[in-house]
Amino acid sequence: MPAFGRRAGRRTVMKGALAAGLSAPALSAFLTACGTKETSSTAVKIPSPTSPVTWPLSEANPAIAAGQTPKAGTTLRIYNYADYLSPRVMKDFEAKYDVDIRLSTFNDADEALTKVASKELKFDLYFPSYDSLGKLVQADLLRPLTRDYLTNYDNLWASFHDPWYDRGARYSVPYTIYSTGIGWRTDMVPTDVAAMDNPYDVLWDTAYAGKNAILDDWHTAMSMVLLRNGIQDINSTSSKDLDLIRTQLLDLRKTMRPKVTISMYTEMPAGQYGLSQMWSGDAINTPYYLPKGVSPDVMRYWFPPSGRGEIDNDLVVVLAQGQNPVAAHFFMNEILDNKIAGQNFGFTGYQPPLKKFTPDTLVADGYMPENLATAVVRESDFKDGYPLLQLPPETDTAWHQVWQEFKAGG
Amino acid sequence: MADAESRRTPPGGRRIWPLLALPGTIWIAVLFIAPLYVVVAILFGGVDPILRQPVPVWNPLDWDFTQLAYVWDHIVGPQPFFRPALVRTVVYVSVASLLCLVIAYPVAYFTARFAGRWKGVLLAALIAPFWISYMMRMLAWVNLLQTDGLVNKALSAGGLFDVHVAWLQGHASTVILGLAYGYVPYMILPLYAGLDRAPAAMLEAARDLGASRFETFRRVTWPLTRTAVVVSLLVTSLPMLGDYFTVDLLSGSPSNSMIGNLINNSVLTPGQTGQAGAFVLIILIVSVIPMSLYVKSTRSGTDIAT
Repeated sequence: MPAFGRRAGRRTVMKGALAAGLSAPALSAFLTACGTKETSSTAVKIPSPTSPVTWPLSEANPAIAAGQTPKAGTTLRIYNYADYLSPRVMKDFEAKYDVDIRLSTFNDADEALTKVASKELKFDLYFPSYDSLGKLVQADLLRPLTRDYLTNYDNLWASFHDPWYDRGARYSVPYTIYSTGIGWRTDMVPTDVAAMDNPYDVLWDTAYAGKNAILDDWHTAMSMVLLRNGIQDINSTSSKDLDLIRTQLLDLRKTMRPKVTISMYTEMPAGQYGLSQMWSGDAINTPYYLPKGVSPDVMRYWFPPSGRGEIDNDLVVVLAQGQNPVAAHFFMNEILDNKIAGQNFGFTGYQPPLKKFTPDTLVADGYMPENLATAVVRESDFKDGYPLLQLPPETDTAWHQVWQEFKAGG
Repeated sequence: MADAESRRTPPGGRRIWPLLALPGTIWIAVLFIAPLYVVVAILFGGVDPILRQPVPVWNPLDWDFTQLAYVWDHIVGPQPFFRPALVRTVVYVSVASLLCLVIAYPVAYFTARFAGRWKGVLLAALIAPFWISYMMRMLAWVNLLQTDGLVNKALSAGGLFDVHVAWLQGHASTVILGLAYGYVPYMILPLYAGLDRAPAAMLEAARDLGASRFETFRRVTWPLTRTAVVVSLLVTSLPMLGDYFTVDLLSGSPSNSMIGNLINNSVLTPGQTGQAGAFVLIILIVSVIPMSLYVKSTRSGTDIAT
């Protein structure tokens, strides 16, 4: 529509609304009539296991030349979740390369994407999940990797050498793997959650109202409703499925008053609640935050034994806005080192997909207690489980609106 | 008369005051009007199709009202899911502000009237909470209010009672008490300033004329400090209106969301940033009404004094 036509139309509508006295419904009609949202729709590539994507190499942000070393005295800016990177690993890197690391943290992927998109913060390394990768590449926010620096790349599980979300690993390196299930404390929740016919139902069990939490991550929390109802497509574009999610989430809010957070790994051990939707890495971490006198044996984690649950991995990418891409590559390579990845695993509780960490021996090797062995992620889980995928823009908007309604409180 | 006036006004006096006001005017223009225009440009702007980030539109002729319509629809329309958070904000802020007043008024009264040589020390003690960040003070309460925290331990009286109150699990009372605790120092200072200026001679005169202590308070002290009370209520309630981290830290449950949480959630959600602008405008309009009333009341007070 020509701009003039649009302006003239608005004037006419404005007169009508003013004549109607701008009552609430009239104002609403007026604003709707003025709505001329014109976001140009761009075909967005969405990778999935059945539709792998090889991203084109960025022309604006070329890969760096091989053979360089980090400049002493420079700063490496890292953007990551809180408590998701071992301070010791960072300190050792600083000492080894005489580089100063500045770590900034975020609470959820949406917040992170908003800040990364501003390009103002000059982060060098960012730790997204793979459902963000397509957006980051297509918005030209990433720098392609120079593989010569990643000498530890072969330490990864073979299935991660050429991942479906980034064929040829042009932009990303896998960081951690995790499942999403249910965590609980046996001293606060007498129900044997794992023995229930449908363990997801426990999060709607009013016996635990006011004593539970769900993840403050829209897609993770909403897809749990689908899994509860036996729907395996956790990236559904169906409006019927979305209605189901909305109904059950609002019911959850009303009857259970859940806390919506990503800090369950500290809050559940502290006794704030005894039941929570949880990431496996956080479950592994909970014993370290239990107060003195509480046995680590009280912690439990459930993930479908069939492996048919939510399974994901996080990545490390080099942002084009960063000022220190060489140090960023060195750091990436460092966390693929078996010993350093082990230190990091010990701190974060999140399993690296490296060959050295055999799932069958993680308990024996002391990386996690036996009562939390269900939190171990196996390579086969990525065949049987369901990954969270980037959603088409219209679906993404619709899902976000439901999440917004849930979080607005009612 | 004209001669007397010209004698009081120094040469160039009519120009000097506007000139002196110029830096402040520029300051307000830069730090208030310009950011507000950015908010409006984002509210009425577009959205980047890939990252769903806001694209501000500076020309009002090209403004798009979709985001405002969405927010407005969900406040007054058939699915008003934003409305409860707005109502909750008004209730929480009103109760917390009144609670602050009940706590702050006696403290300020005592400090202004009876503290004597300890006045300075008391004032310093009252300001002391400002030295610690609000966030840190709230985090301290998180520790105290945990199910196995000190508050429940104290209530269990050494194990006599079995107390497992989940204070941090979505209780309105916890949020209101948190707001009152966090903002009460902001109320004490303006109240103290108002009470300290109240002429003691008038209070003594009321007593000499036979008024009881209560009558003296009701008919002299309270009217003299009414402006200070209004100011202190404004000083505390306005920042409370935009507060979101008290709810985040002391509740974390959507059942206690306030308008500040709606703003924060919208800002951090791709595609919804413009809606945050709509909520900001709502707060602005709601804030301007009591501010105008305050300005009107102080102006009429000045007229009476004159």
